[in-house]
Amino acid sequence: MPNPISIKGRTLKLTQNVLNLNWEEVKTKITRFIRDYVEKSKAKGIVLGLSGGVDSSTAAALSAMAIGGNKVLGLMLPERETYNPKDVKHAELVAEKFGIKTEKIDITPALEALEKTIPVFDPEDKLCKGNLKARIRMLYLYYYANKLNLIVCGSSDKSETMIGYFTKWGDVAADISPLMDLYKTQVRKLAKHIGVPDVIVEKPPSPMLWPGQTAEEEIGIKYETLDLILYGLEHFMKTEEIADQLGLQKDLVEKVKRRWQIMEHKRRMPLTTKIQYRTVGFDFRLPFT
Amino acid sequence: MKQNFKVALAQISCHKGDKKANIQKIEDYVERARRQGAELVIFPELSLTGYILRDELYGLAEKIPGQSTIAVEKIARKYGTYIVFGMPELSEKAQATLYNTAVLIGPKGYIGKYRKMHLPTHSVFEEKRYFRQGYQAEAFETELGKLGLIICYDIFFPEVSRLIRLEGAQLIICISASPAVRRTFFETLTVARAIENTSFLAYVNLVGIEDGLQFWGGSRLIGPNGKVIATAKYDEEDLVIGEIDYAEIRPIEAFVPTLRDLRAELFDKLKEKTEKL
Repeated sequence: MPNPISIKGRTLKLTQNVLNLNWEEVKTKITRFIRDYVEKSKAKGIVLGLSGGVDSSTAAALSAMAIGGNKVLGLMLPERETYNPKDVKHAELVAEKFGIKTEKIDITPALEALEKTIPVFDPEDKLCKGNLKARIRMLYLYYYANKLNLIVCGSSDKSETMIGYFTKWGDVAADISPLMDLYKTQVRKLAKHIGVPDVIVEKPPSPMLWPGQTAEEEIGIKYETLDLILYGLEHFMKTEEIADQLGLQKDLVEKVKRRWQIMEHKRRMPLTTKIQYRTVGFDFRLPFT
Repeated sequence: MKQNFKVALAQISCHKGDKKANIQKIEDYVERARRQGAELVIFPELSLTGYILRDELYGLAEKIPGQSTIAVEKIARKYGTYIVFGMPELSEKAQATLYNTAVLIGPKGYIGKYRKMHLPTHSVFEEKRYFRQGYQAEAFETELGKLGLIICYDIFFPEVSRLIRLEGAQLIICISASPAVRRTFFETLTVARAIENTSFLAYVNLVGIEDGLQFWGGSRLIGPNGKVIATAKYDEEDLVIGEIDYAEIRPIEAFVPTLRDLRAELFDKLKEKTEKL
């Protein structure tokens, strides 16, 4: 594996090369992690949302490699407004290739029921409505996990997690998130390495919150560039230096940095205020398993 | 050297990571303190940046002297005051080695700095994760007498205050960022350090809420007999002026002569036993 701080000369050179890892080693690390967690938690297997996108396909494939596809359940949770038969086909393709069990549940009735019972529901507010969809998917996943003693495996990647491009308590909600330390472009490379079909790896990512939504258009920057900015920030580089090396406006890099910083509330347990001796989120420090 | 003067306890909350805004606040408080006759204005620990900054500390730390100390020097010159404040310091010999530092600036410019010797890394604190500990207790000669600097958790270790007292400091300045759950400790220890050293002690704590931690304020000036001369409000920003008269030390030093009665041989034992704890 390359040194995580691959400093050549005085400064880090931000090229696509810095994002290259030994994908076989990454695969081993992740599958070992998944297997270990499932064993220690004494769960019977894994349930995950299967959207047909690269992240969830990769998470599903790695789960199957870790504990066997027969112990992995992929829930396809389409919804009328964003329904795309191609995505369902892609999800089925992955399930078949890695021997994963699947179930398909249309979440539209649940969504409509909520829409009717929320007095302030605004059909024009696509973000709030989209987040509702992500949270409904979470409800299904956790019902299955609860009922069948399964672990919920998330598929959030590092790029989305850093900039907070996800629904709080929605798609990010999971017991483990094995891809969370890999940038989006790295997930693509890992996906290719483990045999996720090219048609999935190469399609533009979308959180499927509203029709026609694509991540890169919404964020306003290509993942190839975003990942290098984030990599620079991860390595404590100054925004001027990142902008200079990537030939970008400093404002754009600053904007990404600010977004990364202000989204911390989406990544941690809810903040409380310290009142007593030891406090959740502050100084209760216990191991996960 | 002046025997008596007014000291201001500038109990502020900080704009997180915004050095420019915090320097502006320092200037505002110095101006107000000066109008009330203060010749020394003391700000809390890490008051240049705020206390809870985690990884952002690396980007905020500066060499001393540096850009921010120069900005505070201008304020000190403009108002003719001494200023003590806290900031994350970048080592002049390294690129990412930081100290939690107290800076003393006078009307004629930069005087000196003290690097926190005891870094709390327990409970809610993670200072050793970010800071290297200092190795030198510091007292500085000024027109206001010798001023000794300590920072927050140092007050739990009487050795640091003792050392600066033995250097000749008659005023111990403790800058702090103490969360509310520890209030009673500090209220006791500030008085104890003053009494055992027969010195004045100015304690200035942060206020405000940073990442759910509520800093309790309660800054205070304590006399050599343990009497609380001035106190600031709990939990809110405040500016309190107290008067120091070094002449008050003489009668108390004769009444409870702790310096006369110090037993040097105990310190050798302390060293030996500490190493074997």
